[in-house]
Amino acid sequence: MNRREFGALATSALALGVMPFNASADETCQSPYMPMITGHEEYIYIWTLGVEGMGDEQDKLVTVDVRPGSDTRGQIINSVSVGGRNEAHHGGFSADRRYFWAGGLDTNRVFIFDVHTDPSNPTLHKTIETFVKDSGGVVGPHTFFALPGRMMITGLSNDEDHGGRTALVEYNDDGEYIATYWMPTEDDMQGAVAVGDAVADGYGYDIRALIRKNIMLTSSFTGWSNYMMDFGQMLQDPEAMKRFGNTIVQWDLHTRQPKKVFNVPGAPLEIRFPWGPNANYAFSTTALTSKLWLIYEDDAGEWQAKEVADIGNPADIPLPVDISIAANDQTLWINSFMDGMTRLFDVSDPHNPKQIYEKKIAPQVNMVSQSWDGERVYFTSSLLGNWDKKGADDAQYVKAYKWDGSALIDDFEIDFYEAQLGRAHIMRFGSAALYS
Amino acid sequence: MRLALLSMSFLVVAVSATAGWQLGAFGDTEKRQKIDPFSSAFEHNDAFQFEPPQPGSYALNVIKKAPEGRVLDIHGNSRKLSDLLQDKVSLVSFVYLNCGDINGCPLAMSTLFDIHDTSAKIPGLHENVQLMTISFDPERDTVEAIEAFAYPITQSDTATKKLDWHVLTTSGQAALTPILEGFGQVVDRSTDQEQISHLLRIYLVDRDGQIRNIYGLGLIDPRLLMGDVETLLLEEGLL
Repeated sequence: MNRREFGALATSALALGVMPFNASADETCQSPYMPMITGHEEYIYIWTLGVEGMGDEQDKLVTVDVRPGSDTRGQIINSVSVGGRNEAHHGGFSADRRYFWAGGLDTNRVFIFDVHTDPSNPTLHKTIETFVKDSGGVVGPHTFFALPGRMMITGLSNDEDHGGRTALVEYNDDGEYIATYWMPTEDDMQGAVAVGDAVADGYGYDIRALIRKNIMLTSSFTGWSNYMMDFGQMLQDPEAMKRFGNTIVQWDLHTRQPKKVFNVPGAPLEIRFPWGPNANYAFSTTALTSKLWLIYEDDAGEWQAKEVADIGNPADIPLPVDISIAANDQTLWINSFMDGMTRLFDVSDPHNPKQIYEKKIAPQVNMVSQSWDGERVYFTSSLLGNWDKKGADDAQYVKAYKWDGSALIDDFEIDFYEAQLGRAHIMRFGSAALYS
Repeated sequence: MRLALLSMSFLVVAVSATAGWQLGAFGDTEKRQKIDPFSSAFEHNDAFQFEPPQPGSYALNVIKKAPEGRVLDIHGNSRKLSDLLQDKVSLVSFVYLNCGDINGCPLAMSTLFDIHDTSAKIPGLHENVQLMTISFDPERDTVEAIEAFAYPITQSDTATKKLDWHVLTTSGQAALTPILEGFGQVVDRSTDQEQISHLLRIYLVDRDGQIRNIYGLGLIDPRLLMGDVETLLLEEGLL
């Protein structure tokens, strides 16, 4: 593996607009606009789906202590419930990292937690109840991507047909609506160009940006009628299975205008740009076709998309979900939900990724977050309330591992059902050191 | 002496306009002859690997209203922020004069000096656009200190051709805090008073006092900022 010097990484990260950091710091998949933790992460915030008949039955933000040497390390130290179940899913910090925004895919509520007043004990600061009305009909607030003074939120659906046509919705940091940017469709390309045989489907999921290139990418999943349907029932419904996104859209970050639509069949989900100063590409994985895709700038300066690797055996439909790229851009963790596996790919040559390690985490696994130095890797379990496995396979947890360069070594785990909390979904790191 | 040295360092990094760039005048009766967008007056920086979008080809949505507050100018006059922001498109940044973070105030200031210096090449620009810096260290950035800092700006031979630059401070934290909070400028005051941790931000404010864009590190490209300024002037029908 061709590993770059850390100094070059520091330079590139600073160029991207983050605070100074040292060798053991933050997770890697955040908005590059926000400050980073300059030491060991102290807390993990886990946005958790409430479960009927369990504990207070509400969605909640759970705080796990990961401070080295703490008496409560590896334990839940706080939890703040939001008053109901909303299909808790993803969330992200504001660009000043003082607030954590999290969405409910079913109720369309957006919860804004204060994580800076007491980073060990977040509180609910504000709830946006008007997301659908504000946005002109967008449903399913999904990814929260911080921009200076603003939050860009991807939708998954709409309130007309509850299908996959959706939009990006922008709010200011005070939680006030700014604008809606609908995804291009075949009937309304908004000036974008379809590449090859791509058909603009108007679907949405993730969003990431490469600031120095003024590039923003969005991916595409499925609408409310599918993500709220029982998973087994949906798999047996041929019409439902047609309603998945097959595109990644390239946008002008500054103008919020779509430029290109790429054909990426099989529901491309997470998007990750690397950090290197000359790394002009991004990765994504497709849930239904189990492929690793590269979206890259070619020698002529044009952005292209191509599949570069299989993830597991695509015929088994392992269902790739979350991914996490190393800070040195050399490796990529890829989780797959159905087989409960995590796989590590060597992506030092992004055009020819190779799997170099795999481990079964649990009967099901969804999210993965790694520390900036790559030495700590955390996993959580839940995909969607109606898609999680049933019975004994419905393991709900956070699991922490040490990565020693060749294997994941058990550190600690918390059973979220045993703790009467619910289904553990997205993780984000916190630290008191961010706020003097 | 320290303030003078800082001022000099900011001036050194200011970039002169590229040759061959010129514009006519603003206004309905004296239409300018546009040759190139404002952004073309600035040199390309390798940190920004894209061409700025065409001014006027996109919308700059209203993000929020800029806050009200009272500030002190270099003469010690107490001014309403809203009075200073009205009538011109403003680029506003929060700085402190002792800042040594190369990705903090010096970067913002070098960009503003670049824009200030180059503005002399764009006839009529100074009638419609202004710069504003507000100190978030009022205890040390006194009226006397900001006056000394502003001296090379106000006393330049070409000062009347360049953008007005309001160098401002406040009477103290009580006056400063609501302004910072209103803009959303985060400042962490640690026990180490030599360094004030903050996120670099430049705000684009329209003539109605509405924030129309917010730039952080990675976006502090004078071509991008001036493209947005030009977009606002096009929106007003001035170009």
